[in-house]
Amino acid sequence: MNVFKKLFQIFGPIALAALILFVFLISPFGVKKISQTTIQKAALSQSPNIFKGSAVKEAAMSQNYVPFFGSSELSRMDALHPSVLAQKYQRNYRPFLLGSPGTQSLTHYWGMQGISKQLTNKKAVFIISPQWFVKKGIDPNAFSFYYSNLQTVEWLRHARDTRMDRYAASRLLNMPSARSSETLERCILRVAAGQKLTSNEKTYLDLKYNMLKHEDQMFSMLMLKDRRSLIEEGEKQLPDEYNVAKLSQVAENLGHKNTTNNRFNVDNNFWNKRLKKNYQKLRNEQSNFSYLKSVEYSDFQLVLNQFAKQHTDVLFIIPPINQKWADYTGLSMNMIHQFNHKIKHQLNSQGFDNVVDLSDDGASPYFMQDTIHLGWKGWLKVDQHVNPFLSQKQRTPVYKINNYFYTKSWQQRENIN
Amino acid sequence: MPNMQPYQNPTYFLILGVALLPIMIGMLFGKKLHWYQTLISFAFLLLTFGGPKWEQGIALICYIVFEVCLIGIYHAYRQKKNATWIFYLAVILAIIPLVIVKITPALEHGRASFIGFLGISYLTFKVVQIIMEIRDGIIKEFKPWLVLQFLLFFPTISSGPIDRYRRFVKDYNKSVVREKYLELLDKGVWYIFLGFLYKFILAYYFGSRLEPVVSRLAVSHGGISWWLVAYMYVYSMDLFFDFAGYSLFAVGVSYIMGIETPMNFNRPFKAHNIKDFWNRWHMTLSFWFRDYIYMRLVFFIMKNKLIKSRITIANVGYFTLFLIMGFWHGLTWYYIVYGLFHACAIILCDAWLRFKKKHQAHIPSNKFTEALAIFVTFNTVCFSFLIFSGFLNVLFFHGTN
Repeated sequence: MNVFKKLFQIFGPIALAALILFVFLISPFGVKKISQTTIQKAALSQSPNIFKGSAVKEAAMSQNYVPFFGSSELSRMDALHPSVLAQKYQRNYRPFLLGSPGTQSLTHYWGMQGISKQLTNKKAVFIISPQWFVKKGIDPNAFSFYYSNLQTVEWLRHARDTRMDRYAASRLLNMPSARSSETLERCILRVAAGQKLTSNEKTYLDLKYNMLKHEDQMFSMLMLKDRRSLIEEGEKQLPDEYNVAKLSQVAENLGHKNTTNNRFNVDNNFWNKRLKKNYQKLRNEQSNFSYLKSVEYSDFQLVLNQFAKQHTDVLFIIPPINQKWADYTGLSMNMIHQFNHKIKHQLNSQGFDNVVDLSDDGASPYFMQDTIHLGWKGWLKVDQHVNPFLSQKQRTPVYKINNYFYTKSWQQRENIN
Repeated sequence: MPNMQPYQNPTYFLILGVALLPIMIGMLFGKKLHWYQTLISFAFLLLTFGGPKWEQGIALICYIVFEVCLIGIYHAYRQKKNATWIFYLAVILAIIPLVIVKITPALEHGRASFIGFLGISYLTFKVVQIIMEIRDGIIKEFKPWLVLQFLLFFPTISSGPIDRYRRFVKDYNKSVVREKYLELLDKGVWYIFLGFLYKFILAYYFGSRLEPVVSRLAVSHGGISWWLVAYMYVYSMDLFFDFAGYSLFAVGVSYIMGIETPMNFNRPFKAHNIKDFWNRWHMTLSFWFRDYIYMRLVFFIMKNKLIKSRITIANVGYFTLFLIMGFWHGLTWYYIVYGLFHACAIILCDAWLRFKKKHQAHIPSNKFTEALAIFVTFNTVCFSFLIFSGFLNVLFFHGTN
């Protein structure tokens, strides 16, 4: 047989595969349009792939979707959940839920990198969990779960020698995720040290960016969870006209109906699955919990700095803790008040004035769906702040970022005047 | 200096592809570029054992100098005399570095010995084989250069397959006609791509996607649960596809270099019984154990008439073989139990085969019994891998695996 024919038989498929790979991954051409159905599903899915990617988020935020940053509370999709209310009463916005159990400030900072353009001069809602503010901040494993090189590459392409970028780089270097690629690690090290990237590194980042972007466009939408029926289910339980008194009654009834098997006003399912077996072990277990000294404060500063950079107008919500549960576990309310004070200081002193502090509502029945997660009445109260904020025009915020909040001394400070 | 472990990522394969190009062109013109082959072998060894792994590199060099001298001295001695105790001494000296490397972690809380390096086991298997064949008089000449080429053949250095010296040397010196080389090239490329499927898709899916999930669920459930069963299968699949994928890379690259390194796996999960399994699983290792431990032990026992019953001799051989294999994997209870488990399984299997032969007329043999045999063997093997995984150590004794 002819040598060249045989060689072509051996290497032809490889060459073809390489070519296809090149066209799909490295070339700068876009791949496909994202359908409305995909966006609707993605906005509710809380899927890590959506969180880590940027294609779907970009597409959604260029429409009327508003990011709702948060964590586990976002999955409490009862009839008064922001996504249900926005759809039922045909608001001019739709929530795009960003966050699930384990997402914290640092994850949100990196998650925002891909949608920086879309968030510029726009609005956002951010739910702060006091539980994030433990001594060491986010758990590295949880961070890895929501981390993607796409975000890092995106960030590196725009990173400059600023306090924010240097701090973000040094935090990332503390995480195992930073070591996923040697070249990326070297680039992150450079930013942390305040150096410029070399032109080789920049070219590498550009190529890598195209590749990861196409990967994101092709794969992040596969196997999306579809929760639209859950929202429709919720809509059916609501009155046709928006009426706070009526809605409050619905919330009351739902709360009452779903918290029958325990004395903490905790949702029945949550109780059966998570607490029933071991709740007795948890008595007084949280008595020396403190959310006052934590690296999370500086990670949170990254988020604020990013918002300020983009001139994003943000509504911050500080949810309460189920009072009955807090009493049982011995969580110090004094500490929680100090926490609120500290976080509000960080917000207000830098010009973030839209802060909704719900921490006094923990004792109000059916405000929380379980121990620390907002539910029925809590969601309704949130809506009463979110709706006007998003539906009406707000005056342009003026932010003045203070790098002091990146320091250890702020992380550790307990007394705020 | 950059450092890369063999076959770890696409970059390694890209570098490999470029480095192999001159060899391919040379081979197509019927020329073996031995000097170039030596050059890239050195480069790839440097890539694996240099940079941050330089300590391993030093260990490898010291090991090689020691073993090649040992082979040379024993060969020189064997030309004149043939005392048994000198032969034993040579074998013991040859395996001492490996023994130290295996024992150190057990004594020093998991710390690795500083004389260890990636692939020391496989090099030791090769050295012992040479010494034994020198003793047998099958290897007559000692050519240090060829011994070095054989030991340091980079495609197989880290985890085999374990080639045989005489077979390797024959391939190394033989010139290959173009048609034959095209066939080798064809197979080599095919094996490498099959290896991609095995290692980077299937093993990744089982090992990096499913395994963390099922292991977490099994641990949180505690004790014996269906998740533990799931873990058993997932781990077994990961183990197979990972190792078989790696072996395919090693064989494929060898073929491209004109060396027909033997295959390591032959559809092991299609085995009809445990004996059949060991003829299909990690074949070069089991054949090594068969030829250099089992056969020699059986021969020794028969020659010295230590045991009369042939069946007992075989069983003692099996126990010795699998116990040594267990110890070789590492000094932990689960590796040793894994060895003993397989020894028992193969002894039972032998007993059953004898029984079947005697009562041939009464035992049905059809498609169904065949399927049953495969099913039972597969599950026995997966269970043995569950022991091997060390997961039970985590689950029951809160240890590490």
